[in-house]
Amino acid sequence: MIELENVSKRFDDKTVLDGVTARIGRGEIFAVIGPSGAGKSTLLRLVDLLDSPSGGTIRIDGIDIHAERERSLSIRRMMGMVFQKPAAFNTTVAENIAVGLRFRGAGESVIQKKVEDALDMVGLAGYGEQRARTLSGGEMQRVALARAMVIEPEILLMDEPTANLDPVSVEKIEELVLQINRDHGTTIVISTHDMYQGQRLAHRIGVLMNGGFAQVGSPREVFTLPANQDVARFVGTENVVEGVVVAAEFGSSVVDVGGVRVRARSSFSQGEEVCLCIRSEDIRIAPAAGARGLRGGNILPGTVASISPRGPFSRVTVDCGFPLSSVLSWKVVDDLEIRKGSPVSASFTAESVHVVRATRN
Amino acid sequence: MYEIIEGFVEAARLIVTLDPDVMAIAARSIVISLTATILATLLAIPLGAAINFGTFPGRKSLINLIQTLYSLPTVIVGLLIFLLISRVGPFGSLRLLFTPTAMVIAQTVLILPIMTGLTISALSGVDPVVRDTLYSLGATRLQFLVNIMKEARFAILATVAVGFGRAISEVGAAILVGGNIAASSFGSSTRVLTTAISLETSMGNIPESIALGIILLAIALGVNLAITTVQHR
Amino acid sequence: MQRRTLFAVAAVMVALLLICGCTGTTSDPTPAEKQQLRIATTTSLYDTKLLERLTPIFEEQYNAEVLIVSAGTGKAIEYGQNGDVDVLMVHDRAREDAFLADGYGVNRRVFAYNYFVVVGPESDPAGIKGLQPEAAFTAIRETGMTDGSDVVFVSRGDASGTHSKEKAIWKAAGFNYSADVQGSGDWYQEAGTGMGATLAMANEKQAYTLSDIGTYLAYKGDLDLVTLVDEGDILLNIYCAMQINPEKYSDTNSTVAKDWVNFMISEDVQKEIASFGVDQYGQPLFYAARNDWEKIGVPQAEVKDPIP
Repeated sequence: MIELENVSKRFDDKTVLDGVTARIGRGEIFAVIGPSGAGKSTLLRLVDLLDSPSGGTIRIDGIDIHAERERSLSIRRMMGMVFQKPAAFNTTVAENIAVGLRFRGAGESVIQKKVEDALDMVGLAGYGEQRARTLSGGEMQRVALARAMVIEPEILLMDEPTANLDPVSVEKIEELVLQINRDHGTTIVISTHDMYQGQRLAHRIGVLMNGGFAQVGSPREVFTLPANQDVARFVGTENVVEGVVVAAEFGSSVVDVGGVRVRARSSFSQGEEVCLCIRSEDIRIAPAAGARGLRGGNILPGTVASISPRGPFSRVTVDCGFPLSSVLSWKVVDDLEIRKGSPVSASFTAESVHVVRATRN
Repeated sequence: MYEIIEGFVEAARLIVTLDPDVMAIAARSIVISLTATILATLLAIPLGAAINFGTFPGRKSLINLIQTLYSLPTVIVGLLIFLLISRVGPFGSLRLLFTPTAMVIAQTVLILPIMTGLTISALSGVDPVVRDTLYSLGATRLQFLVNIMKEARFAILATVAVGFGRAISEVGAAILVGGNIAASSFGSSTRVLTTAISLETSMGNIPESIALGIILLAIALGVNLAITTVQHR
Repeated sequence: MQRRTLFAVAAVMVALLLICGCTGTTSDPTPAEKQQLRIATTTSLYDTKLLERLTPIFEEQYNAEVLIVSAGTGKAIEYGQNGDVDVLMVHDRAREDAFLADGYGVNRRVFAYNYFVVVGPESDPAGIKGLQPEAAFTAIRETGMTDGSDVVFVSRGDASGTHSKEKAIWKAAGFNYSADVQGSGDWYQEAGTGMGATLAMANEKQAYTLSDIGTYLAYKGDLDLVTLVDEGDILLNIYCAMQINPEKYSDTNSTVAKDWVNFMISEDVQKEIASFGVDQYGQPLFYAARNDWEKIGVPQAEVKDPIP
């Protein structure tokens, strides 16, 4: 449905996007995630014809949307967009929602009906006559969503729609996104810097970094098999360490990390510089004495370097020659009498080590 | 001191009894300046929109020029219009000199720069996300402009008030092109509040000056009060 | 998009024309048969309100509307030269002659005269009371130029008829106006404004000034200034009305202009002029010119013969 081909965008002398390529299918929820300033908003604005790309093409249903000046209005009218900071037109809520319909010359009775339905959908029935500027941020964002949906767009673009909202409002908006996609089959492109939101909503995720998509894939792929160490760090892989492959055979390898040897599954060959990504959930911590053998796995002795609280858990960092972090419940920390400086062993399977090529910036 | 008090008493009497001469002058002032303001608004808004949303070389310099013209001295405008519409001037055959129409033209020219400039400020003051939202909702260029105006309506209203205030309070151009004529018919006279105050003061008719001054002040304050009220609603 | 822009521009222009047209018509409710007469008059005449007395009579008799612009004689003559008015009413024989000779004006008629007076503070610091005008001016200048004196002379300084007369007196007294008078010290100040305003200014400064008697009397109630010099041939002040030459400006309203000039020298109006102000000031502001043509040295035709 939407094809991005080598799209780039420069503002004066600052390159924001450089070679963005992706395909987004009809009816898909596609999340663009990436750190602040990665160009997520710029990309969405290019798709919505609010800006023109400096290079590359954006096609919708095969039409180069920036080349077709004559059709730009009808192309733009295929899409609805919700912005990070919703614009409240200085009038009633109902009129705010009706704007797009008025632009399309809809009749008064149609407008009334559709606006009412839209208000119902976003759970704001009865708010129609209220002044839009009196709404809370969450309510206004729902109005913005209703405003974008009332015109029944084929594509809904959402630019960090929940960035400034409280958790309850975030949940409501997320529910609506899923509901809209399910009920109307709307193709949704949502940008977010919250990778978990991407995970919750998206069929596929594109990780936008350094001007391009570092990885495009299902949430599971992106989280468990990050394409490089930057993606790994961004999607919350706590342990990302660099090393060199010292032995490799039959899809398994031994990687030297600062003198410590780690077994991993990978097809990299000897001498290659690689990066190991190990999710903290996959690392077990045990008192040094109680460490049991782990077939084909890794048991690394070390001392506890730090313990820091993390919600109902504790984040325990062990120095095994390089730092490794794991997450343990408070109870486990107490039971195992883990203290700062305690000798422990960290163990994890070779399968839980995801190896990517080391990239140096 | 006594004269001043006496002046105010007489001024109050002129206003309370709705002295026909004083009222006619006040009404004429309003009619002329309002017409000029409407004209200038009709010109300034499209002009301001074109400059604000347009992209053309020299746009920045044009805005600077307009801002410089805010302080256009009224007598210069008066002189310019006088030269243009005097019988020997290029538009002399229209016989506009010493008519209310001439005053309307002069006041329109006078307030056009500030109204255009303030329109630009009003439009550029609209939140960029409002603009994006309008486009994303599928606005045509015209629908976009109309809706931006709607969003900027209070600022534009204030612009109109500023224009009217400047038009009704200027004296230099009014006296040069109007001639401060007191004719027997309302429409042929060109005596307005400011020129009348100027004349009456020079002729020593202090009470009339004070009365006219109070009315002028009341109109100016009234307009601003009305605008503020609307804006706070 | 371009067509739409064009359309918008066209719409604005149409609106503009409509509004111009409307103001044009609404501001002019006078029916077509009611003719407009534009007069440029010297301020000394305007400020006495003589014309305010006469215009309604004229408007009634001739079904016309009189529009009067008051300005100094210099400015008024300029309006006449530009053809911006139909009738000129001024008081400066020398410049009138030039104006007529240049073909801008025709049919001059003298309708009134009076005298200029030198007025000043009652204390009369320059001691000019009862002197001839030339001697009085010399005395004002001399005392004015002495160090520490508070003698001030306020001049109209606006190329008006009164200003012309003042310059003539300086000349007659043997001074070069621009060299010996203008800019010769703080004692000589130019107001650059009308007669009434100049009198008010002289009053504020307790200064001397030259005024026509009409305006002075009309303002006397508000002034502390007294008449100090009122005798001397040079003080004669003659008012005339003339038509702007219709051959120069074809669309000047020559018929009603002619009517106005003839109206001013008509017997009834002459009587009106002679008695104007008597009830208020105890003496007339003007003398009717009709029977005094010899005394004031103008041709009989200029006071008696209506324009044919």
